[in-house]
Amino acid sequence: MAASNEFAKPGEYKPMDMLAVAAAREVNDGDIVFAGTGLPMLAIMLAQKTTAPNAVCIYEAGSIDGRPIDLPTSVGDARCAHMASMAAGLTEAFFGQLHRGYVDLAFLGGAEIDKYGNVNTTVVGDYASPQKRFTGSGGNPDINALARRTVFIMVQEKRRFKEHVDYITSPGWRIKKWPSGEEAHKKDVYGKFFRGGVSAVITNMGVFRFDEEGIIYLDTVHPGFTPEQVKDNCSFDLNISRCKGETVPPTYAEIDLLYKVVDPEGIFLP
Amino acid sequence: MGKPQRITIKEAANLIKDGDMLTFSGFTIWRRPMALVYELVRQQKKNLHLFEVNGGTHTEVLVGGGCVAIWESCWVGHELYGKLGEMVAGKQVRSEMIVEDYSHAQCVARLLAGAYGLPFLPTAHSMGTDILNPKYDMLGRAGKRDGSNPKIPMKKYDMMHDPFYDMGEILLMPAANPDWALIYAQAVGTEGTVRVHAQTYTDYEAIKAADKVIVLAEEIVPEDYLREEPALNLATGYSVDYIVELPWAAHPTGSQRFYDVDADFIRSFYAASKSQDSFNKWADEWIFGVADHQAYLEKLGITRLEKLRANSVLGYSTRVKRGSR
Repeated sequence: MAASNEFAKPGEYKPMDMLAVAAAREVNDGDIVFAGTGLPMLAIMLAQKTTAPNAVCIYEAGSIDGRPIDLPTSVGDARCAHMASMAAGLTEAFFGQLHRGYVDLAFLGGAEIDKYGNVNTTVVGDYASPQKRFTGSGGNPDINALARRTVFIMVQEKRRFKEHVDYITSPGWRIKKWPSGEEAHKKDVYGKFFRGGVSAVITNMGVFRFDEEGIIYLDTVHPGFTPEQVKDNCSFDLNISRCKGETVPPTYAEIDLLYKVVDPEGIFLP
Repeated sequence: MGKPQRITIKEAANLIKDGDMLTFSGFTIWRRPMALVYELVRQQKKNLHLFEVNGGTHTEVLVGGGCVAIWESCWVGHELYGKLGEMVAGKQVRSEMIVEDYSHAQCVARLLAGAYGLPFLPTAHSMGTDILNPKYDMLGRAGKRDGSNPKIPMKKYDMMHDPFYDMGEILLMPAANPDWALIYAQAVGTEGTVRVHAQTYTDYEAIKAADKVIVLAEEIVPEDYLREEPALNLATGYSVDYIVELPWAAHPTGSQRFYDVDADFIRSFYAASKSQDSFNKWADEWIFGVADHQAYLEKLGITRLEKLRANSVLGYSTRVKRGSR
């Protein structure tokens, strides 16, 4: 069957496909996007091939506006720099691009998130004597802190959606002023460096956004799930009252692009 | 400062003393000076202090080999081929090593300040995170910020109000000036000019920030060849102290235009890194069980290496199987 712009039905695509497609739709044409490894790569590449052909992708290892013809497996991959406008380094990516204010959208992952959008990718338990260590921050907090919008792409599990994360690796809407530890809105911590913050969280079950107080709510639920099921997969009391219905499902054409053009080798989409 | 000296890999490792502070070229699993890392384990170095912008397979080899006392960085893992840095994680959980976390850009700020000869650099990166929670200043908690070690700053960071444009509170990150930068580069001229291909990562900053620099060169090439296009070069010969010419010195990490990441090798290392016992068996086979880099390459075998060899146009291998299809 030829790929069409008709919507696929639940069962005709995998949860990860919905996730990648929903994330791609967060990209506005012309956005300068700073993306992490994995699903963020699929999302930006799919967006560039569909609704956002003028979007630019920056990877933190230093490739600026690369045009990979083979999917990179990490942001430092040689493939990221293919046909790039610049093959620079981290100083350019983090300071020349991000700190200077070029970045519209951050596309990132996370191990745990709380209701203010604070993300933990560092430890479980008290940092000074942790029970488990994850990989660590990487560029997650830097990219999230100074981009105008951030979209987190995550797996929906009760243990990952927490009232409070054990360690704030990446700043959400309510954080602390250090060294005092006084709690404050992100705007007050960043002062004139404030540009925005977490705008959406996309999981395999739904799309979340943040209210005026900086608290997460369910915006749309993916086809095949109910808002209550999403709520059951959060360990805090998720606001589902603002859920405006189902997420627009992937089209056959989008699924086709994901499997045949973006990730034909089955790297992130087995 | 003169021309760099050509030495062997064993001599290079011999120069590094127990307790020295090291930084590295590369990014996670790309362009790491692996042959020298193996030799440091073989020579059983102790109490090394790593300051690195990000960690990777090399970090895990050094930590598993019992060489590291302090790790300052922001990330460790093997990308798609091993999701955690098990050796670092285990030692952090058991409090057997001091782990000091910064953010990625904060690490860059520290190395950049060191590279430019500045004592610190201001940045707004990652404010409001637990990285800055004073309770989590692990070098401070260990009593290491008393000024007695010139390589450890007396504070993890400071904050100040921007006095010039009233931008608000901004972070100050202390410079990092490691004793050694251990660098892998694709091309080094006969007078030491350094060139890398594709992304530069923080290789320039590492070379400039360190007191002494050892470069493992995939190839030593005529100096004139590099000087024909000086804009493509990363560093001058007089900023490099020692050169070792050693093909495949970055294996199993990747080297643009020369070879791809050896995913299978890293996957099997990652599996072994889940316990000290299995790490030790791995090290017995791949580090202590081979006499030198030549024997290591012979053990890997030509078939495996040929598969990793980069396509000469694309700069990476098109013959490695990377996914499930």
